Amino acid sequence: MSPLLEQFIAEGRDFLQGIGEKLMALEVAPDSVELMTELFRLVHTLKGNSGLFEFPEMTRVLHAGEDLMDSVRDGRVAYSEELADCLLDAMDFVGLLLDEIETTGATDASHAEQSNDLAQLLRALIPAQEDVAEAPTTAATASPESAAPPDLARIPEESRLAAWHLAAAGHTLFWIAYRPDEECFFKGDDPFHQARQVPGLIWGEAVARAPWPPLVELDCYRCLTDFYLLVAAERADVDEYFRYLPEQVAIRPVAPLALVIPEGLPNGGPVYGDFVSEALVLLDADDLAGLVAAAQSLLELSSAQLWLASDLRWLLAVLETSPERRDVLHLLIEALNTLSLPDWSAIAPPVDAGEPEPALAPVPEMPALDAEDRIRLDAILAAQGDILRLPDAVDWLPGRLMAVAATLAACLTNQGEAAEDVAEVYEALAAALAERSARPLRDWLAAFREGAVPAPPADDLAPLAASADDDAKLPASAVLVAAAIVPIPVPIPVPVPVPVPVPVPVVVAGRRALDDPASGSEPKFGRRAEDAQVAKVLKVDQAKVDQLMNLIGEMVVAKNSLPYLASRAENQFEVPELGREIKAQYAVINRIAEEMQDAIMQVRMTPVSFVFQRFPRLVRDISRKLGKEVELVLEGEDTEADKNIIEALADPLVHIVRNSLDHGLELPEQRLAAGKSRLGRLLIRAAQESDRVLIEIVDDGRGIDPAVIKRKAYEKGVIDEATLDRIGDQEAINLVFGAGFSTVEAVSDLSGRGVGMDVVRSAIDKVGGTVTLTSTTGKGTTLRLSLPLSMAVSNVMIIESDRQIFGVPMDMVVETVRLPRADIHTIKRQKTIVLRGRIVPLVALNDLLGVAAAPTANADDELAALVVRVGGEQVGLLVDDFREVVDVILKPLPGELARLTRYAGTALLGDGTVLMVLNPKELFR
Amino acid sequence: MSIEYTKKSARLTAFVSVEEAEGLLEWLQANPRGKVDLAACSHLHAANLQVLMAAKPNIAAWPEDADLALWLRRALEPSIISLLEK
Repeated sequence: MSPLLEQFIAEGRDFLQGIGEKLMALEVAPDSVELMTELFRLVHTLKGNSGLFEFPEMTRVLHAGEDLMDSVRDGRVAYSEELADCLLDAMDFVGLLLDEIETTGATDASHAEQSNDLAQLLRALIPAQEDVAEAPTTAATASPESAAPPDLARIPEESRLAAWHLAAAGHTLFWIAYRPDEECFFKGDDPFHQARQVPGLIWGEAVARAPWPPLVELDCYRCLTDFYLLVAAERADVDEYFRYLPEQVAIRPVAPLALVIPEGLPNGGPVYGDFVSEALVLLDADDLAGLVAAAQSLLELSSAQLWLASDLRWLLAVLETSPERRDVLHLLIEALNTLSLPDWSAIAPPVDAGEPEPALAPVPEMPALDAEDRIRLDAILAAQGDILRLPDAVDWLPGRLMAVAATLAACLTNQGEAAEDVAEVYEALAAALAERSARPLRDWLAAFREGAVPAPPADDLAPLAASADDDAKLPASAVLVAAAIVPIPVPIPVPVPVPVPVPVPVVVAGRRALDDPASGSEPKFGRRAEDAQVAKVLKVDQAKVDQLMNLIGEMVVAKNSLPYLASRAENQFEVPELGREIKAQYAVINRIAEEMQDAIMQVRMTPVSFVFQRFPRLVRDISRKLGKEVELVLEGEDTEADKNIIEALADPLVHIVRNSLDHGLELPEQRLAAGKSRLGRLLIRAAQESDRVLIEIVDDGRGIDPAVIKRKAYEKGVIDEATLDRIGDQEAINLVFGAGFSTVEAVSDLSGRGVGMDVVRSAIDKVGGTVTLTSTTGKGTTLRLSLPLSMAVSNVMIIESDRQIFGVPMDMVVETVRLPRADIHTIKRQKTIVLRGRIVPLVALNDLLGVAAAPTANADDELAALVVRVGGEQVGLLVDDFREVVDVILKPLPGELARLTRYAGTALLGDGTVLMVLNPKELFR
Repeated sequence: MSIEYTKKSARLTAFVSVEEAEGLLEWLQANPRGKVDLAACSHLHAANLQVLMAAKPNIAAWPEDADLALWLRRALEPSIISLLEK
């Protein structure tokens, strides 16, 4: 899985969470524009991100959601619960897809139907007026279909030849008219990129949809550019490529024959009559090799810009790829006689090529130039002469030459000169370009003016005529006249019939390596601005933080060995100075290590909102299902605790909240009857208290009736009759934590399976937390969870028993006392002692651990008792001696040893000793 | 920023994103005779392409990226054909 995909999944979850939250918030404030905008943004971004990958099912649903949100945002649709339900369903579906992507790396196509249904449901919520709003788009989208048939003639011959060869090699050719949505820039599309990257692109062009407005009026964020593309690809690939914007493209297959459009200067027709008859003979005689040879030699003799050369190139191309197409060859050869486009419709099925080559329409008769025009024309020609006399040694010479040639060609055409002359211009241009000198053109111009400039009427044209005779000695005034005249637009009749092969290097026009689409030179694309932001929050794999945690743990252990070293230096090697220095160094390292530890702990700290954020949705869903009205209040969401603690908290809390909703809070009618407001209140509050996190879940429901609990417990055999009479209300309430206890007869899908509170208690126990439950009948119930801030570092008291050391978690320890043996009484074979007015039972640790040794007393015959609190009761643990309190990194016992529940885990002490840490709760079980 | 503006020229480099279009348009409005240097440009967002097509600025250098250069020349260069057609 690529890092990008991983990030997408992680972010996607956040987005879904955010979307859920916003929907909840909107329920309270359905008119909040801010929330709506934010919601739209979330859906929009998620959709955009999903578009980076191949998850069309996800994108489709999100797209529909986005459209719906858009119309809500614009006020066309009012926010409703139905809408929220629909969106939440859709988001659940997206969440499901995310899960699937995470496990399998892709989405299953089998979701397509569901995705469609959801998208339709969402779209159904968009009112019909949407159609009106979309009308322009529809019109715009329809237009590529109805657009004029592809104008294949605009494709340069090189590209068409390339396409012909590809078609002959078995590729299918398509003409794509891509008309991007005007608003597409706002959707993060880059149509130009889309067009450039289309599979199998042979040629493409960007064309303005309409003449550009003046710059000041240009809206650069409205897409007014169309793209025309010629591709050789599989239809499926093309469809796939445009699958997100099928309404913006018109894809038409192109018959290869439609590409056979010879073009060029219509020149020298009759001259090649011999070739035509000869070629036809060769063709009839089936001498294709001879025909190729004849065509090639004629091609070599002809100027490449001529129409006939183009025709010959096509002839050769057809001979090379599909010599069996005699009809095509025939027409191509015969076309040389007329210099007009062969009529393919006669032989080929009607092709999509549409209009015949307009460039080959007969030259329209030019109106004769009047005297004024002649003066201008002559001035233009003179100016060209001047330009051609400029020094040749400049980089832009080719451009200059082409410009001059273009001007000359235009002038000649408009003057009604024969096409031969125009062709001569281009021949001269080709020569000039070849020798990088203006001379050939200059010579041609001089010759042309010599011969072609008609004798002017003697009077008013005298100065210009003079200048025409001798360009070199052009009078300054004439130059000025010429300069002044040049910019005057010469009235040019349209269409101009002379197609000119562009002598600029367009030869490989847009041809991309077809076999190697990923040819490495792909530009890198940023998408939108928000993606470029530098993240201030790092998302780090938890394993890395855990590793840091382990390392700092080892560091602490290593550091703790320094005091031992110091004492050895003092006592064993008798170098007290060194001992002191080691201690000083130890102090420094100790401080740094502790700060490091603290910092890493901070990294692991997660706010309880991580768990709390799911409750609005949960409470909403459950309460609606149950027909209850509940107001959820969350407090102290930014209270932080270690990630493991917070994660361990999630499931128990969900259980508790469900219980509260199901059993605690009453139906609105019942509440009214009980004199409460219809709206039940569920408060979830988190707070930090010294090194523990307290979480309270308070409801103002019916509370727990101790009498009911007692009866149930008795019926289920959890307690006997004697206990039934004896136990107090609080104890009765605590019975709900017993395994398999449920007060509800009917098992609902919410709670009541009898696996509720005992699971909660054991989950909380596991992370070193406690649960207490208080309840007042008719008023409500309060559950209090108390959890350690962090599990990483445990404060442990070391005790000694039978020459072994053990650790006891400090949060269990109430006090350490020395008990004179005389004060210990035995009641019912249980050693006890009265401590501060309370009877505390005493248990020897050795007995609990199965060690056959009695607790040893000190010199004053006092026994050491560690008073610990277990399940609300105090017990004295008899040990041999107390040692210091240390901070250790508690590691759970690995593998099979983990089943020794009497031990909470092990820790490594500074001197390398392994400390077994006891789990008093299990010890006394 | 993938467009560097000086008094007389705008130099487009690497990928010119959609956000740049507005700046480019303003600059071309303010400097109608400004030259545009595309040599180091590898791709420009269609919005930028539109601005160039509409403004028809002087192109100081075509992109070194051959494919892009062809596209831009076709879109921007007042080719001989189009001159003749007009």
